[in-house]
Amino acid sequence: MRTSVRAAIATVAALAVLGPIGWFWYDSLVPGTYDMATMGYADYGGGPPAGHQHTGGISVADLRGPSGTPAVTVTLTTRRDGDRYTINGSSPGPEIRARQGDLIQVTLVNESVPDGVTLHWHGVDVPNGEDGVAGITQDAIAPGRSHVYRFVARDAGTYWYHSHQVSHEQVRGGLFGALVIEPPSPAGGDHVVQVHTYQGRRTINGKPGVSEFPATSGEAASSGRTVRARVINTDAGPIRVWVSGTAYRVVAVDGRDLHQPGPIGGAAVLLTAGGRVDLEFTAPGRVDVGGGAAIGSGAASAEPRELVDLLTYGTPAPLGFDPGRATRVFDYRIGRRIGFLDGMPGMWWTVNGRLFPDVPMFMVRTGDIVRMTIRNVSGEVHPMHLHGHHAVVLSRNGVAATGSPWWIDSLDVADGDRYEIAFVADNPGIWADHCHNLEHVPEGLTAHLAYADVSTPYRVGGDAGNVPE
Amino acid sequence: MRSAYRILAILIALGVVVQAAVIAGAWFLVLNDLDSGTVLDKNSEGNWAHVVHGQIGVMVMPLLALLLLIVSFFARIPGGVKWAAITLGVTILQVVLAFAGFAAPVLGLLHGVNAFAIAGVAGVAARKAREATSAVPASPAAVS
Repeated sequence: MRTSVRAAIATVAALAVLGPIGWFWYDSLVPGTYDMATMGYADYGGGPPAGHQHTGGISVADLRGPSGTPAVTVTLTTRRDGDRYTINGSSPGPEIRARQGDLIQVTLVNESVPDGVTLHWHGVDVPNGEDGVAGITQDAIAPGRSHVYRFVARDAGTYWYHSHQVSHEQVRGGLFGALVIEPPSPAGGDHVVQVHTYQGRRTINGKPGVSEFPATSGEAASSGRTVRARVINTDAGPIRVWVSGTAYRVVAVDGRDLHQPGPIGGAAVLLTAGGRVDLEFTAPGRVDVGGGAAIGSGAASAEPRELVDLLTYGTPAPLGFDPGRATRVFDYRIGRRIGFLDGMPGMWWTVNGRLFPDVPMFMVRTGDIVRMTIRNVSGEVHPMHLHGHHAVVLSRNGVAATGSPWWIDSLDVADGDRYEIAFVADNPGIWADHCHNLEHVPEGLTAHLAYADVSTPYRVGGDAGNVPE
Repeated sequence: MRSAYRILAILIALGVVVQAAVIAGAWFLVLNDLDSGTVLDKNSEGNWAHVVHGQIGVMVMPLLALLLLIVSFFARIPGGVKWAAITLGVTILQVVLAFAGFAAPVLGLLHGVNAFAIAGVAGVAARKAREATSAVPASPAAVS
């Protein structure tokens, strides 16, 4: 064969290999600045088309908390020291406590976090403009600037706050703290157990190893007292939590009380990343969270092998709405495949088979009853977190929930599992619905719930350098 | 082009050796860290050796195998395209097995076995290039 013909064939063959790769690379590129609400495709969940979101209507910037005199006023100043982040000089940041019905006002001051910061009120169903997601509900607060958040403490429970700007670095490095909304007449013996792993050391309230409950205002967890341990998992993966030395009850999950929870002995609770459980027991006893970290008094007991199944724990109670009358039904299927994500080759997470930014925008109208099936076929566990709403678990792998209503804002979806959840669309805005293993967000595992006719003036990227993870 | 083909094939085979070394080192480092109280969980990003193994495995090795295939079109080595394609195939299979291993750890065993397959077929490719070079007298007219 002539040399020139051979060279032509070789060139065509090379182009046939490189061409598609180049096209996939080019097609994956994401603009430097964009409106998150215009990314991906609208998914109406089988309901009537709700006018696409980036066309006027209500602005996220107008969906703010009420005016008035706040009952709780806090200033949180953020700093970066090396790869550590602190709030008012420590990590975790100060514990914020409010009573149900209080107006909370938090002034965020960024002293020295170069990438900018925001605060997200994890689990609190705040108005959308207070949600603290950089590039969607506000601009990241640059060093030397400040921002005021205001919202009403509507639902008593255990919550936490953390940055939602470059969060996979900032939260890991310590930019978070606890937020407790107490019922109108709180009981004593109430303690936050905030779990975080700093550089391979698991800690409770910042302390590694075993510590005692602090003796707050003469209410030490002395023998015979009832203790309510508000356990918060600020880490990237699920942890096993149990009480050594005595039986306990799981009295609340994700800031919602369970109905008639029974006593548990010899079993642990799996607490998903970002999730909270309130455990109640009679002192003495100690709360173990694995990794050598525990708080309380008494001897350690071995880590139980059994896990409490919240699907059957407690007894049923009215939900307050009928999931059978759903007006929209969504699928949130998590997978993983080879491809390019913004030009980078790798194994990336997919939502309904597609790579970010080609992911669904779950479109709803206020008042919709929404059912969502979350399926995980990706090979790893994902703690899925929906902002601004609490959803109730209807079933897991086709088995219906028969215990207490199990309300969640953070749900541990193990590989191979399929959960059906339902919620009422009662909080207009544009809400992130993402994996709380925060490393997975820049790897593509994020989608949004958007209300019809709500738009955002904020942009991902841009002058503020918004990175809404 | 033949020497480029041969060098790429040798680099791929050597890459397997490097990958085996760093992943062994990575887990010995983990065991050593555990002795000083480190907790191994979902927060763990892995040590430097895990990172090197990941970068070489996901980026460098597939790129080398892809280049080998491209070069093979021009190199005029008997069996050259075939062995380059096989090398690329087992390299992609290796990445797939690596990630499939998260869900089904038993596939991690195949990841280890397939590494030998990559080194083997890359070695065959390198030999084909050498044979092609020595079979044809290295006169300028013949090689052109």
